[in-house]
Amino acid sequence: MGDVMVGYVCKYTPIHIIESFGEKVHKIDPLPANFDNADCCTHNNMCSYVKAVLEECLAGKIQRIVLMNCCDSVRRLYDVLKLQPTIEFLYMLDLPRKADEKGCIMLAKELNAFIKEYEKFSGINFNKERFVELLHEQRNSRQYAKAGVNIGIMGARCESSITEIIQNAGANIVFNLACNGDNVIETNGFNGEDIIYQYAKTLLNQYPCMRMADTTKRYAVLKKDIEKSISGLIFHTVKFCDMYSFDYTKIKENLSLPVLKLETDYSLQSEGQIRTRIEAFIEALKTKKPPRLTSNSAYVCGIDSGSLSTNVVILDGQRNILAYSIVPTGAKTVDSATEAFENALARANLTRSDISYIVSTGYGRIGIPFSDKRVTEITCHGRGAHFLNNSVRTIIDIGGQDSKIIRINNKGDVVDFVMNDKCSAGTGRFLEVMAKTLGLSLEDMSKEAANSKEELTITSMCTVFAESEVISLIAKNKDKADIIKGLNKSIAGRTLSLLERIGRKKHYMMTGGVAKNSGVVQALEEKIGEKIFVPEEPQIIGALGAALIALENIKS
Amino acid sequence: MDMVKAYGNFIKKSAENPKTAQKLINLGLAIAYHWLSRRHDKKMPKSFKYLNRICIKFMHQPLKNPNNSAWVNLFAPAEILHAMDIYPLFIEAFASFLCGFECEDEYIDRAERAGIAETLCSYHKAFLGAGITGLLPKPKFAVTTSMICDANIGTFRHLTDMYDIPCYVIDIPNYYSPDAEEYVVDQLKEMVCIIEDIMGRKLDEARLKKVLMTENQTRTFLKKYMDSLEYKYFPTTLTMEMFMLFASHTFMGRQETYRFYQMLYREIDSYPQKQVKRIFWIHLLPYYQTTLKKYFNLNDKYQILGCDLNFDFLDNMDYNNPYKALAEKMIKNQYNGEYQRRIEGITKIIKKLKPDGVINFCHWGCKQSSGGVILLRKAIKDMGIPFLSLDGDGIDKRNSHDGQIKTRLEAFLEILDG
Ligand code: SF4
Ligand code: SF4
Ligand code: SF4
Repeated sequence: MGDVMVGYVCKYTPIHIIESFGEKVHKIDPLPANFDNADCCTHNNMCSYVKAVLEECLAGKIQRIVLMNCCDSVRRLYDVLKLQPTIEFLYMLDLPRKADEKGCIMLAKELNAFIKEYEKFSGINFNKERFVELLHEQRNSRQYAKAGVNIGIMGARCESSITEIIQNAGANIVFNLACNGDNVIETNGFNGEDIIYQYAKTLLNQYPCMRMADTTKRYAVLKKDIEKSISGLIFHTVKFCDMYSFDYTKIKENLSLPVLKLETDYSLQSEGQIRTRIEAFIEALKTKKPPRLTSNSAYVCGIDSGSLSTNVVILDGQRNILAYSIVPTGAKTVDSATEAFENALARANLTRSDISYIVSTGYGRIGIPFSDKRVTEITCHGRGAHFLNNSVRTIIDIGGQDSKIIRINNKGDVVDFVMNDKCSAGTGRFLEVMAKTLGLSLEDMSKEAANSKEELTITSMCTVFAESEVISLIAKNKDKADIIKGLNKSIAGRTLSLLERIGRKKHYMMTGGVAKNSGVVQALEEKIGEKIFVPEEPQIIGALGAALIALENIKS
Repeated sequence: MDMVKAYGNFIKKSAENPKTAQKLINLGLAIAYHWLSRRHDKKMPKSFKYLNRICIKFMHQPLKNPNNSAWVNLFAPAEILHAMDIYPLFIEAFASFLCGFECEDEYIDRAERAGIAETLCSYHKAFLGAGITGLLPKPKFAVTTSMICDANIGTFRHLTDMYDIPCYVIDIPNYYSPDAEEYVVDQLKEMVCIIEDIMGRKLDEARLKKVLMTENQTRTFLKKYMDSLEYKYFPTTLTMEMFMLFASHTFMGRQETYRFYQMLYREIDSYPQKQVKRIFWIHLLPYYQTTLKKYFNLNDKYQILGCDLNFDFLDNMDYNNPYKALAEKMIKNQYNGEYQRRIEGITKIIKKLKPDGVINFCHWGCKQSSGGVILLRKAIKDMGIPFLSLDGDGIDKRNSHDGQIKTRLEAFLEILDG
């Protein structure tokens, strides 16, 4: 057979058995553009990974697949695939959740049944000698910590694009203990009659995944080995996979290292944001002390290329803000950046050649060819906020399409941060849609809430649902001011739960376009019970931080 | 503001004060038992009034006597607990009561804030929130199975860790075989030893056999009730169909349940045959949902014939081999294993009850049921029966969109009426 690969998804899969039939195995790592076909065969609330696999199968890219009876989503994947004519071999092994003797016996029986089935399918007899040979082959070179930033990966399966981003950001991956990570199993010294039983036992005694009944081993190693070998952990979850959220809370408790929680949906859509977060996390781990400034004759510039606006700040050597400008981001990042840059130069009465160093930040930072360095907006916000008010420990940044909470220390270094990893709910975009629905300008909307008299609650969190809720409130003749106040409260609620994820710590600063909306700021102050500092121009904090970093760079 | 809502607000405000919140819940249950459950509509069958009362009692007992209680999930073999006079606290039902008390949102939010995935089933999130805030008194131990639904192991492990109590996970294989049965029997025996140790008393096997005998007799009444349901009109409500889960699962084998099914099958005989549109319901019922309540609660145009979950196991149990019988009951449950098995089970019941339409409810976060909805749709349509699938949430009111449900339901009923 040979040239058609057998796809698998789980680290408990008996790949050595499959290979002993002369087959090649392949860990399925899909990255579809969307789930359009999968959504027609199952419910869209299935785990995104499973939907991605289904999408690939429906596209005819996978013909043979061996599943483990992992979770509800995989079980339903199996049921749906069973009816797909393009699949020529489909098998699901029942994986026991207990690794005791009974569990191992159960798995050994499953393995034997699988062997029979594959013999029947392939017409080849199971080759025990080949199996033993394969077991003795060393396949995983163990990873080890190197100089620089060392990272570990845990959680649910993690697509290879993420590991690539981590490596490209200059970090070394010491281990990957996610579902599809390193199958580090000890197979040496196997022999004798009950070799299938031994194999079953070895498979079941791997580092336990969250599906297993007993997970104590997961946490036992954290303090002992893991903490020493890495400087930060990336914890990955898949949208609609719930198992690993339990794990996350446990790991946070047991580990005193920085942890970055990422949630992806296994599609191409979220890559940009994921990249930003990973790079910022790694940058924070690399943080060195900022060098002291010695010269004051230079001019530097920070450019923040955001999804809705592009902001530029020009500083002189004494950290004075000479000029800034804000322009809406157009279709081409570089055009908007050039426009904003030129505007600011004109205001500062400078020319391009006067600028010694440019740092770009924001979503579009990579697309600005004339910048000298790229830094994520997370780090930049930290610098900018600290510069403006050094008592700030928490930055609440609500921009056009995402919101984030950044925790900084007394030096302005980022120590932790969270971002909303979902949708536009609770962001500037959300307010824009609502303002349109209410027939108001953003500015009027910001003032209106003060006139509210009746308490209204907007329950929907999703922009689309909230919009229809607002429409029905209008239809019920509810006062606009009350609706706006309700919306503000809902944004504040969302933001608060984001904040709770890293914990409260004063003082607070709010940045980003939404900070200009006094109604939202007030609703948030009420929720937190603390005053929030809003800078004069909350949209330029990222660009300001970038300019400050530029200044440090010319001096180091 | 209505009374229950005000009361729920009271509980929510006490979320930081678990002792007060616990007292409020106990008080609410006592009031419901002594007063509300007697105040029902004249149209409500007597057996349902009785069901209502025993369910409140079933919920109240473990909360009042935590030292003699254990947490269980819907599919756990509670028969063993009944035989040892231990009160099971059935966690999905507790979450559902929070919804009845109008305070589920607070507890769901608390769980999410603690880092629990928002895509997790809301029954579990609400229960987790209740645990995290200390609303639940500490039981002696917990028992869950791995069958059918992933949420259980995660929730039970998380909370029993927090409460520092033992948790026994019964791992149920996907397919039945003598080996699989033995694997489960061994676990049940181990579990009983552990429970005996914790409780300081022995399980009397004769009692367990008796519980299973009662269960068998109860099931004969259930089957007779189903026979009558084929042609009788019997008014019900969404809440009653949900309450029936207490009877058909966790409290099977108890005397009260026996009495309920006995009343039920006797009472249905006194009801007329009537031309109504008969609807078979699949999966959970969001009993708070305005539009659904309007169309189905004690309605004499539309009748819910029952919910598939209440008919998931109809075999006789071999009470002389209680462990084997319990193992078999779990492995052979129609929801365990491949989806095709449940389609076969459901179509069998549908062939018997002959509904005019089938409604499936995709509960937010429930992957095991939602994942097969397209397969189910095809199977039901192939039988020539109209099928509707609704999306929503069994308890979290914020996840059920009335406008959406209303349009779909009304269009569906128009098809049935047409
Ligand atoms: S959770 Fe466990 S069983 Fe499931 S895919 Fe991951 S490693 Fe495999
Ligand atoms: S990501 Fe989670 S839900 Fe998806 S297949 Fe893996 S364990 Fe199952
Ligand atoms: S509704 Fe679904 S996910 Fe929730 S407890 Fe029931 S089976 Fe599990």
